[in-house]
Amino acid sequence: MRPLDWIVLLGTLGFIVVYGIWKTRGSKDMEGYLKGDNSMKWWTIGLSIMATQASAITFLSTPGQAYEDGMRFVQFYFGLPIAMVIISITVIPIFYRLKVYTAYEFLENRFDLKTRSLAAFLFLVQRGLAAGITIYAPAIILSTMLGWSLTMTNLIIGVLVIVYTVSGGTKAVSVTQKQQMAVMMGGMVIAGFMVVSYLPENVGFDDAVAVAGKMGKMNVIDFSFDWDDRYNFWSGLTGGLFLALSYFGTDQSQVARYLGGKSIGESRLGLLFNGLLKIPMQFLILFIGVMVFVFYQFNQPPVFFNEAAKNKVYATPYAEELRGLETRHTVLFQEKQQAVQGLVTALKSEDEAAVTTAQGKVAALTSAGKQVREEVKELIAKAVPGSETKDTDYVFISFVMKYLPTGLVGLLLAVILSAAMSSTASELNALASTTVVDIYKRNVKQHASPAHYVNASKLLTVAWGVIAILFATFASLLDNLIQAVNIIGSIFYGTILGIFLVAFYFKRIKGNAVFLAALLAEGVVLFCFYFTDIAFLWFNVIGCACVVLFGFILQGMIGEKAKS
Amino acid sequence: MKKITTTEPVDTEAPVDKPPFFKSWAGMYWLVIGNLAFLILLFYVITRYYA
Repeated sequence: MRPLDWIVLLGTLGFIVVYGIWKTRGSKDMEGYLKGDNSMKWWTIGLSIMATQASAITFLSTPGQAYEDGMRFVQFYFGLPIAMVIISITVIPIFYRLKVYTAYEFLENRFDLKTRSLAAFLFLVQRGLAAGITIYAPAIILSTMLGWSLTMTNLIIGVLVIVYTVSGGTKAVSVTQKQQMAVMMGGMVIAGFMVVSYLPENVGFDDAVAVAGKMGKMNVIDFSFDWDDRYNFWSGLTGGLFLALSYFGTDQSQVARYLGGKSIGESRLGLLFNGLLKIPMQFLILFIGVMVFVFYQFNQPPVFFNEAAKNKVYATPYAEELRGLETRHTVLFQEKQQAVQGLVTALKSEDEAAVTTAQGKVAALTSAGKQVREEVKELIAKAVPGSETKDTDYVFISFVMKYLPTGLVGLLLAVILSAAMSSTASELNALASTTVVDIYKRNVKQHASPAHYVNASKLLTVAWGVIAILFATFASLLDNLIQAVNIIGSIFYGTILGIFLVAFYFKRIKGNAVFLAALLAEGVVLFCFYFTDIAFLWFNVIGCACVVLFGFILQGMIGEKAKS
Repeated sequence: MKKITTTEPVDTEAPVDKPPFFKSWAGMYWLVIGNLAFLILLFYVITRYYA
């Protein structure tokens, strides 16, 4: 990194933090601190919702996903706009009418205290672990690529977030997310223009997209139905709807964003804004990944994008084998480069036979290149046991570091750190408000001054921030930690969603029935986790379905008992 | 903290401020769903064209 990159990076992040503190100074009571005085307009809410969902991994992994697998990941978001409409119609009016601070308060209104506390507890466990990973995941990639200390990177992200989140509460989170979204989208659009401008002179934008299409990367939509295929139209529409309803309807880190709205209308518009723009935004990020893929058809990519992991192999007896594979990779690339140029020429001549021939040649060489990459991954796993052999997260940052000019490198790093900070800020804010409102104020100290609860919220934001930083710092000591956190999340998420589904849509089921149903459902999920091989993503569905099913059965039993 | 008393979901049909450009919120909802349908159609055309 050059001095100009540091100036751009530190200047951007510093401005956002200082602006957030200045703009939200003087939040004195709970209404102001946890709900931003209900003063936020729809565009602030909309951008805040989008910034909360877009973590650093979105900007690091999504272009890499497109590089490897094409555009089809965008289908994952097809259920989101429908979820935004459903939440706008049903959830928002209820939360507003009850003037709740957290989503879980509603559960006491609908059921009872124990159900509210159970849902809040499940959320705190799940989101508390996730906050650490939100910091750790980009930090490990940035520290690997830039040679920064992992602990320092964790500390920089964590401390900056704590400073403005503690200072201004919910309003600071939302206000800074506006700036962060501007940096994120501005940086990505500039990166997109740069990658297209780096293509060879005889390859225009149309040619680049056509080449990507012929190499199977413009596979935006797939209507075929397959249970095993994670990204197709049907799984995106149904699974995506399910996930978006859980995330936006029951997760306090998102609920807090629209609870701060000036009115029901502003909150609805904020959510609908997300429903309109989320898919185009993901399309744009994926498309940049596809353009990076095309760029690497004319410029030699590394055989393995995580160069630090690859370089470790050179210190082992497998070094010679790796050199051999790299040589094969170079030779194959040179042949493929000529074949892709042939494909461009054929496409321009509109000669279908020539296009088919060139496409076949490119496909064969691509397949051979993939084989070499697989051999390299196997070699890395053998030479350095425990190494991460998935390198798609490193594709985009590797391009940024190697090819973007000075200044833009700093801006793109600001994009990634802004994304990490925006997600973490929402998480810390949600964790603190849930701990204060649903646990402390309701169960420990019911009658205290507003200033007392604001101070408790600030203290708990710091406490959750420190836990997240510690978790992120020691994360590397544990194997498969990210996977473990995802599993823990799936174990609890289904049950939480089930409780809310019953609350909103099944009026017959009352507090005792849903509480017991939730405990039983959690037991079923834990049984599945310990004693079956069911993929953990299905725990969400199982947990949710069990709460509803057991709720009906138990309500029937309790109701009969009461009558008799 | 507000006293919590009810045990049923509250009424969701109370009047709220009007949305921009449309007479009712239903118009806004149809805009979002229509935009989704348009994007799906556009993606289908892109997929077919570049296949």
